[in-house]
Amino acid sequence: MNRREAIQRTAMMLGYAVTGPAMVGVLNGCKASPELPFNPKFLTADQAQLVVALSEVIMPKTDTPGAVEAGVPQFIDDMILSVYTQADKDRLAKGLAAFDEEAKSTYGDSFASAKKEDQIALVKKHHDELAGKSGDSSAGWWRASGGGEKPFMVEMKELILLGFFTSQPGATQVLQYNQSPGPYKGCVPLAEVGKTWAT
Amino acid sequence: MNLNIDAVKENTFDAIVVGSGISGGWAAKELTEKGLKTLVLERGREVEHLRDYPTMMKNPWELPHGGRVPPEELKFYPVQSRTNWINQGNKHWWVNDVDNPYTEVKPFDWIRGYHTGGRSLMWGKQTYRLSDLDFEANKKDGVGVDWPIRYADLAPWYDYVETFIGVSGRAEGLAHLPDGKFLPPMDLNCVEEVLRDRLAEKFGRKLTIGRVAHLTAPLPHDPGRGVCQSRNLCDRGCPYGAYFSSNASTLPWAKKTGNMTMKSNAIVHSVLYDEAKRKAVGVKVIDAETKQETDYFAKIVFLNASSLGSTFILLNSTSSRFPNGMGNGSDQLGRNLMDHQYRTGAEAEVEGFEDKYYVGRRPNGIYIPRFRNIGNDKRTDFIRGFGYQGSASRESWSRGVAEMSFGEELKKELMEPGPWRIGLTGFGECLPYSDNRVTLNKDKTDKYGLPTLSIDAEWKANEKAMRVDMRESAAEMLEGAGFKNVRTYDAPDNIGLGIHEMGTARMGRDPKTSVLNKWNQLHEVSNVFVTDGAAMTSSACQNPSLTYMAMTARAVDYAVREHKKGNV
Repeated sequence: MNRREAIQRTAMMLGYAVTGPAMVGVLNGCKASPELPFNPKFLTADQAQLVVALSEVIMPKTDTPGAVEAGVPQFIDDMILSVYTQADKDRLAKGLAAFDEEAKSTYGDSFASAKKEDQIALVKKHHDELAGKSGDSSAGWWRASGGGEKPFMVEMKELILLGFFTSQPGATQVLQYNQSPGPYKGCVPLAEVGKTWAT
Repeated sequence: MNLNIDAVKENTFDAIVVGSGISGGWAAKELTEKGLKTLVLERGREVEHLRDYPTMMKNPWELPHGGRVPPEELKFYPVQSRTNWINQGNKHWWVNDVDNPYTEVKPFDWIRGYHTGGRSLMWGKQTYRLSDLDFEANKKDGVGVDWPIRYADLAPWYDYVETFIGVSGRAEGLAHLPDGKFLPPMDLNCVEEVLRDRLAEKFGRKLTIGRVAHLTAPLPHDPGRGVCQSRNLCDRGCPYGAYFSSNASTLPWAKKTGNMTMKSNAIVHSVLYDEAKRKAVGVKVIDAETKQETDYFAKIVFLNASSLGSTFILLNSTSSRFPNGMGNGSDQLGRNLMDHQYRTGAEAEVEGFEDKYYVGRRPNGIYIPRFRNIGNDKRTDFIRGFGYQGSASRESWSRGVAEMSFGEELKKELMEPGPWRIGLTGFGECLPYSDNRVTLNKDKTDKYGLPTLSIDAEWKANEKAMRVDMRESAAEMLEGAGFKNVRTYDAPDNIGLGIHEMGTARMGRDPKTSVLNKWNQLHEVSNVFVTDGAAMTSSACQNPSLTYMAMTARAVDYAVREHKKGNV
């Protein structure tokens, strides 16, 4: 059910039709914060919107499923609720708020409502900053940031990739997965194996 | 009165085995196959092969929280968590630390599994023989006491046990790491083959595929067990019974003799001693659920409750003859606690081989047998030595966290396997020290009112000096093999974390300085045998479980022969 249908149903249950300016306002709101693909148990609706948008920027749908289709935002909501300690929960909530605040001050919109190219620009900025900090490119940046608090972008990427590649679409359609591969073959041409093993 | 006599009769067996893990399962199988009515007592819950492996067929997306265990569950496992190995697939195998307390005078990680099969469900399956290099070491070095046995005493029993459980490996002809009865070896991968060849060329050292208790071919005598499918989900229980566990192997064989009575939730309080007969007559058991005490009787008692478990039972078995614990006239009971040190070594990046990959998740790795203090190799800073375990593999999707890319580009990159990496971890011998010991703590009792153990043990100078070499030699070999960005590592490694605790009721020739004789029999009580890790006189550096199994089969053979002659 999308938001328009939901609103229309609610309206019918209440016994009158929502029309005119009121309806326009609600539907504009709909555009600003699209329907969530899940019912968050820990995240607020705004936080969840951010997580949905960021998940799709990091791991988008292409000719194979992306993070949102694979249920990653719901996975993240559950991880924070069930596995994170209170201190970690507080820290992550702070990180989400700061990231969204940055989006608003830079692009005038929450991250979820920002244009795709602005979303990508902000995620890139966070990557560049981390690389700069370590004075290194590519793989060095995360390790170099070790010791202190895990940077927000690293933590989110970790959650998104974990959720995605342990999901059925991520493991079986993007990568490949075989629960019972049979006797181990130690040295096989990659061309014969194909893609990365999910596990 | 009749009732009482009937009760005694009902609780009387030919033999009692305490513990159902790696060695207890073997004692049960051997005793029952020799026709003895045998009671097997397991302090934990019942775990039936296949039926009680709830996660064995779960895919990654079927485990909650990506496999992570929430803190409100982990809080019952403060010690077990130190392994960093508790996950949704195996969480039901770990002992509840809150219910099973002990005292760490110095940090000691006591990692346990209380259920049918014990730690045989979750062991590493690495399976190596000891040799005379090990059995003669204490005597040559003047350390501890001399082993009362030599390789020749155990060799036929290694043969016997390996043939039954199925051990995959490659014969290498090394005197100090004797070959066994091997099923076909698992493959090395392309990069591991390179390391093998370069170690041979540049260092004259061997590298072989790990010798493991996984079936790489069917066992004709045991068609109930199948061949390894490279799932590498062993710690959940194997649907094929492809790795050796008591549950998949020895216990079903004991059961089918019709001679085994198995009791779960049966915590052994002590071994009962008859002063007049000067023998053990049975054991006192506390029911873990009702806390009711029951005595069981038998002519032979095998303690296989794990090193510290069996030691606890003996320490708690006091009488006027044995005020300090049964068989403890030497005051060695609880002393000489050993383990293997590890979690140090090196890793490296490997260039090339981008067009090569592998199929399957091999539940095994490489093994570099000990080369230190052998032949012309002589260190002045430590005695004994270490072996290495490790593996090479290609990086997987998790490398993406640290990549600069994201979005479509990252997705595409991760569909290709990443660069090869290789790592080596040393497994080092620990010497027996009389002040590395466990004692009974009567001030701290558990929920059954039993005293608890105090553990006071640490790595000492020899281990610390060896550890430096374990790290540096790993780096030297990886560099010598031409690998790039070699990085050493040295992770915190409390004694105990090797999960090879041993030595607290050592074998020896002299009752004044040892607890067990060459048949794993208490010097002072002829019908009590200890054939788990407690019996070890030195630790060697090899993974020890195979030796416990071989000692057990040998001791049962002796016990039953002597029993028939009326000597036990």
